[in-house]
Amino acid sequence: MNTKRLILISLIALGAMLLSACAGRSTVANTWHGLAADADRAYVSTGSLIYAVDLKNGSEVWRYPAKVDASILYFANPVLTADGQLLIGSAGKNHDFISLDPATGKEKWAKAFSEAKGTWVASPLVLNNTIYAPNDDGFLYILDMNGNQVADPIEIDGALWSAPVTDGKLIYLSSLDHFLHIIDPASGKVLKEIDLAGALPSSPVVGNDGAYIGSFASTIEFVKPNGDHKVINKTESRVWGSPIIDGQTLYYADLNGKVYSFDIAGGNQNWSVQPAGSVVASLLMVGDHIYVASEPDATTGKGTLVALDREGKKVWNQDVEVGGKLYTTPVASGDLVIVAPYLADFTLAAYDVDGKQAWKFTPAK
Amino acid sequence: MWEQLIIQPMTNLLLYIYALLGHGPHTFGFAIILFTIVIRAITWPLNASQVKGAQAMQELQNDKEWQEIQKKYAKDKEKLAQEQMRIYKERGINPFASCLPTLIQFPIIIGLYQSIIRALSAMPLDMLKLSRTIYPFQNAEAIIPLNSKFLWMNLGSPEAVHILGYAIPTLAVVVALTTYVQSKLTMPASSNPNDQSAQMSGMMSIYMPLMLGWFALNFASGIAVYFITSNTLGIIQYAATGRANWSNLLPGGDKNKQISKKK
Repeated sequence: MNTKRLILISLIALGAMLLSACAGRSTVANTWHGLAADADRAYVSTGSLIYAVDLKNGSEVWRYPAKVDASILYFANPVLTADGQLLIGSAGKNHDFISLDPATGKEKWAKAFSEAKGTWVASPLVLNNTIYAPNDDGFLYILDMNGNQVADPIEIDGALWSAPVTDGKLIYLSSLDHFLHIIDPASGKVLKEIDLAGALPSSPVVGNDGAYIGSFASTIEFVKPNGDHKVINKTESRVWGSPIIDGQTLYYADLNGKVYSFDIAGGNQNWSVQPAGSVVASLLMVGDHIYVASEPDATTGKGTLVALDREGKKVWNQDVEVGGKLYTTPVASGDLVIVAPYLADFTLAAYDVDGKQAWKFTPAK
Repeated sequence: MWEQLIIQPMTNLLLYIYALLGHGPHTFGFAIILFTIVIRAITWPLNASQVKGAQAMQELQNDKEWQEIQKKYAKDKEKLAQEQMRIYKERGINPFASCLPTLIQFPIIIGLYQSIIRALSAMPLDMLKLSRTIYPFQNAEAIIPLNSKFLWMNLGSPEAVHILGYAIPTLAVVVALTTYVQSKLTMPASSNPNDQSAQMSGMMSIYMPLMLGWFALNFASGIAVYFITSNTLGIIQYAATGRANWSNLLPGGDKNKQISKKK
């Protein structure tokens, strides 16, 4: 092989490498981590691996799978079920949907799901011993607790990136294409499709005989089970995360980083504050504190976890790390609040109610 | 810098075309096609200059004086370089005219590719980036999310047509085919059996279709739509100059032409 041929092949290989490096969706997908916790462990999905971490000291309990397979990627929040399963689907080229034993990380079952054309970005909902799993292909798949499809999937049309929620009777499911769908689980029929004028990347929150949801139209809407809906408040910017309900108060945040409190009964905004950078994650309420996980703001360059009281006053804040972005919604277990920063040197960090860091978790190589 | 100067303007242009077309089903595919046409039109002078430069260099390989100095100064590289420069000067040929436009176009191709990927937003992180890329004058609420359906394809996923249980990657085949046709048409005949640039062109016409076909096979089909449109436009552009070497498409076509030229 002469030198020119070698140079040519090298150039083509370099071109291929550059184009591969630029690709957002290819053999390697990428987004922020998924997170869940029970009384003993936190579970974090970080791409090719899922880790269980001991809440007492932040040590690794198990990882799945034992051998990394780049075609299988996990980013959704894992879901813990009452019968002792940890459910999650793959967002990689492979569309596997799996059930693990939360205590050991051993696979209980795995379904290849070759008929699903999209990936699993959203977490499933478990209702009445049935798994409702939304796929990026716009179908809501219905499985029994062993992963077998028990009914035809429900066609939603828009991409499904958020978990379905339920009031016990109906299922509320948002799709990216601006629609909130109200589904009767008994018949598997979509009862209502409501256009909310903006993309819906997160789930609604159910309460007060209806559902509240924020959208890319920079609005918070209240949707009744019969499909009637109204804008209850406008936000300064687009809303990514789900609102939270505390009695008659609704809390939510927007991509500008503003956190809002809304009086449901009175129908008016109580307050708004801007504690740190942009907020993508949903808020978390534990005890008297509202936890806000934010992107790095311009001044510190660090992702920040802020605890607010019910009046919007800052109780404490913890900078995570320069460049560390808190996109994943924090979870709580016992006295701990756990965050999973994206692009940080560590994968998990736990803080107590006073904002003191309890531990950090960095997976061993 | 790259983000502000290349990705954001290109993505916004793509989204602007998409919005003009009505952002319904199938429109994103047509937006990619129109977007490629716009980019090809803007870079038309560069492409033309590249073709002209490559043609001039190729013709030089068949020139008697050029071949003589190759033989005469085969062992004196310094003198050979001097003589080559003299010929370039005398004939007004810029030896970099064929590769410089390619180098300039490379960032455009990469930017185009990244813009399509950004607009398709396959994962939450991509969509967050997209929401921050869109200029204020665009109606982001209506645009996001893009409808990625085009004909039988989801432009955000690799394409395959399922026939009798087999997944046939039709787009990847068309990408490889159009790349092959384009490279063969633009490859001029050479009467010099030792012409290294002709050998390089011959290799390119094999490796490039394979590489782009592999990309179309594994990456979002929106990229394949771009490759096919770009290749087709390249073929049309070259045919319009009247220099397309159609005989190269037939097996042994280039050899036949070489033989007839020698006669």
